[in-house]
Amino acid sequence: MSDRAIFAARRRANALAMALSVAATAFGLVWLFLILSTLVVSGLSGMSLSVFTEMTPPPNVQGGGLLNAIVGSLVMTAIGVGIGAPIGILAGTYMAEYGRHEKLTTVTRFVNDILLSAPSIIIGLFVYGAVVVPMGRFSAIAGALALAAIVIPVVVRTTENMLLLVPNQLREAAAALGMPRANIVLTVCWRAARAGVLTGLLLAIARVSGETAPLLFTALSNQFWSLDITSAMANLPVTINNFINNPDPNWKRLAWAGALVITAAVLGLNIVARALAARSKSR
Amino acid sequence: MTDAILEAHVTEGALLATRRRTLVSLRRGDRAFFWATRLSAYAVLLILGGIILSLLSGAWPAMKVYGFEFLVTQRWAPNAMPEPILGGLGPIYGTLVSSLIAMAIAVPVGLGIAVFLTEICPPRLRQPIATAVELLAGIPSIIYGMWGFFYLGPFLAEYFQPAVIGLFANVPVLNEIFKGPSSNLSLFNASLVLAIMILPFVTSVARDVFMTVPPVLKEAAYGIGCTTWEVVRNVVIPYTRVGVIGGVMLALGRALGETMAVTFVIGNSFRISQSIFAPSTTISAAIASEFAESSDLHQSALILLGFLLFVLTFCVLALARLMLMRLEKRAGK
Amino acid sequence: MSLVMHENPAAHAHGRRVKIDVRNVDFYYGDNRALKSITLPLFANSVTAFIGPSGCGKSTLLRVLNRMYDLYPGQRATGEALLDGRNILDPAVDVNFLRSRVGMVFQKPTPFPMSIYENIAFGIRLYEKLPRSELDARVEEALRGAALWEEVKDKLDASGQSLSGGQQQRLCIARTVAIRPEVILFDEPCSALDPISTAKVEELIEELQEDFTIAIVTHNMQQAARVSDTTAFMYLGELVEFGETQRMFAAPENKRTQDYITGRFG
Repeated sequence: MSDRAIFAARRRANALAMALSVAATAFGLVWLFLILSTLVVSGLSGMSLSVFTEMTPPPNVQGGGLLNAIVGSLVMTAIGVGIGAPIGILAGTYMAEYGRHEKLTTVTRFVNDILLSAPSIIIGLFVYGAVVVPMGRFSAIAGALALAAIVIPVVVRTTENMLLLVPNQLREAAAALGMPRANIVLTVCWRAARAGVLTGLLLAIARVSGETAPLLFTALSNQFWSLDITSAMANLPVTINNFINNPDPNWKRLAWAGALVITAAVLGLNIVARALAARSKSR
Repeated sequence: MTDAILEAHVTEGALLATRRRTLVSLRRGDRAFFWATRLSAYAVLLILGGIILSLLSGAWPAMKVYGFEFLVTQRWAPNAMPEPILGGLGPIYGTLVSSLIAMAIAVPVGLGIAVFLTEICPPRLRQPIATAVELLAGIPSIIYGMWGFFYLGPFLAEYFQPAVIGLFANVPVLNEIFKGPSSNLSLFNASLVLAIMILPFVTSVARDVFMTVPPVLKEAAYGIGCTTWEVVRNVVIPYTRVGVIGGVMLALGRALGETMAVTFVIGNSFRISQSIFAPSTTISAAIASEFAESSDLHQSALILLGFLLFVLTFCVLALARLMLMRLEKRAGK
Repeated sequence: MSLVMHENPAAHAHGRRVKIDVRNVDFYYGDNRALKSITLPLFANSVTAFIGPSGCGKSTLLRVLNRMYDLYPGQRATGEALLDGRNILDPAVDVNFLRSRVGMVFQKPTPFPMSIYENIAFGIRLYEKLPRSELDARVEEALRGAALWEEVKDKLDASGQSLSGGQQQRLCIARTVAIRPEVILFDEPCSALDPISTAKVEELIEELQEDFTIAIVTHNMQQAARVSDTTAFMYLGELVEFGETQRMFAAPENKRTQDYITGRFG
């Protein structure tokens, strides 16, 4: 082959590869567009004020809303994050501040990474065996604990990473004032890592807000208004799951409206978290 | 020197005395904080231990009854008399095959997007596109399921599947894999939904590891006249191979355990069909759809399936981590 | 070793009080011996400069004096360093208490991620429970002491990190002074600063020696000559020469000191 032909062949190969990578990007973005557009169209057509103000209706009854499910989701997420976040932050703090060179940290980091990507339905099975069976019934607290088990690894990961970014000079400077280690961590390191940890927390909340699988057989669901955390509680994901699988058009309408609410909340949290991370990075 | 020795006997001033007392009083809190953090680190380990123990104890009755047979039995008859006949082959097969097809779609596409983002995208568009792709990962999986059930499934059954079935109708082997009738609920539909879901993971890991390539290496290759594609193939991919494989495994771990999206579109059939256009089921879909109404041996068999899924994902994720760690070590040097 | 022995540091103690007496201190990073049997005094209310090429152990010695090395596993010191007659290397010593008496200012300015006011008040609050008005007075006193008050008095709520490099370094000095230590260690405090800021910090160090015992590590020969009363020249972990600054810069006794001071190596 002549030099010129080789050159042309190389140019063609390059053009083809580049075209394919552009096509791949288009392929990815098309799905995002399709999913979001159908979700917005179907969700908006089922949306009304009553979605946020009325209880879930019985089957084949017109009207109703998702109030109890939304509140239930908020309650369980709040409890789950309330339990998971402190444990995650403290564990991440141990790994970055005290045990940086210890075997325990290496092992914990490894286990944490496994938990981070472990199937959420497995977490559901775990909490079913560990909480629901001994309690003898489905409960909101079981659902919240399942969510906490999902929150912990996310928070551990970001806390450790953010604290590792805090320069050692800052720790030394605080130590040079005679500060005990705990005070250094609490007042200097945490403060320096604040934005990053908050970002991680928001991402964790976003992640659990849409989780359905771990709630299916922990919190179950509840057609009625309930704030008793020791019994089954309505929640948005499981309610959507139950409503969408039913032929009743009113339930389907509410399910799509709920899906739009959840997705808007989750993506909103994601975007806020990203903006926060970008801002703290640029500073 | 005598001065110094004399100094030792001078009593501390009042300021120093209170300062010393303050520090002593802080000591207890200091220890308490240390232990609070350390115990929390143990709590992370405890979760893993709890998962393994709880799954094992729940799966024990089924293990005792079915033993190794469970892995090779296809029949799933929880209501059979006198005793349920339960075999996990169907969901195990469905889990593995759906994940593999999903990987076959998502990996090339994800790598393509990563190449686009790192090598050819105008800098101004880079962040918005990367964010958009990552937003795919933020959409709750139940939304994928609903969308796959109501929109993607009917579309595929109406247009895509008949075309493919027709295309391979006269090709041996392939006509069995792509065999009709087309169906709204199928293994292939689940795989496609999974592929879309894990796309952001593949993309973001690939993009991150592509960025670890030292610019000098790429510049050297461009310097001798390589095209962009040649740089990617001969410099970027070889340099980051371990990391890319690690990222792919991470995505595989996700795909294996994904629940809601799959449950909606796979059809929950325990029968293994040669055709990927036929309904099937996965471990997580089986658990999600049957667990709440199960009891006794049936429930135990579902937990056993869960345990198998956990072992599977554990191995895949552990391998992925080890590979990514190797890359980090190299990058650190 | 003989290099050190031929000059007895204690000879210079004549008429001056010794604040910290370092005796036969060795220091190890793991198995690596970074300080070799260092013996020297730090005189009260005077400035001692440590000079020498990079890696000679001068910063390491400074970090022994407030046990900063304790933060890292695998680092240890042997020998004695007597602060007012008490050995600070004794494991039983409360290192936090020690550090409250022996403050340190670092190479790079390290303001805490909080307001200017809080940067100062933070350390004071740890040790003393003061009413707000007294705390305000102490903060002002510290900032005046670091010649920073006039520049920041109108923006005490601004972030400490918003100040210029030179101001940040003076903020760090103010923070150290605020908790009233007895000794202040400066680890190349001007290496990240411009000439004007450097001059301000040097001036400050001159003033601070009235109230504090000061040790300063520096790369800058002129700086050592300008600010210090006593100078220690170190090389490869050993103390080569120790003496009055004026004498040492005019007529170094050791050949290597002479070579270093005149810029022939290092």
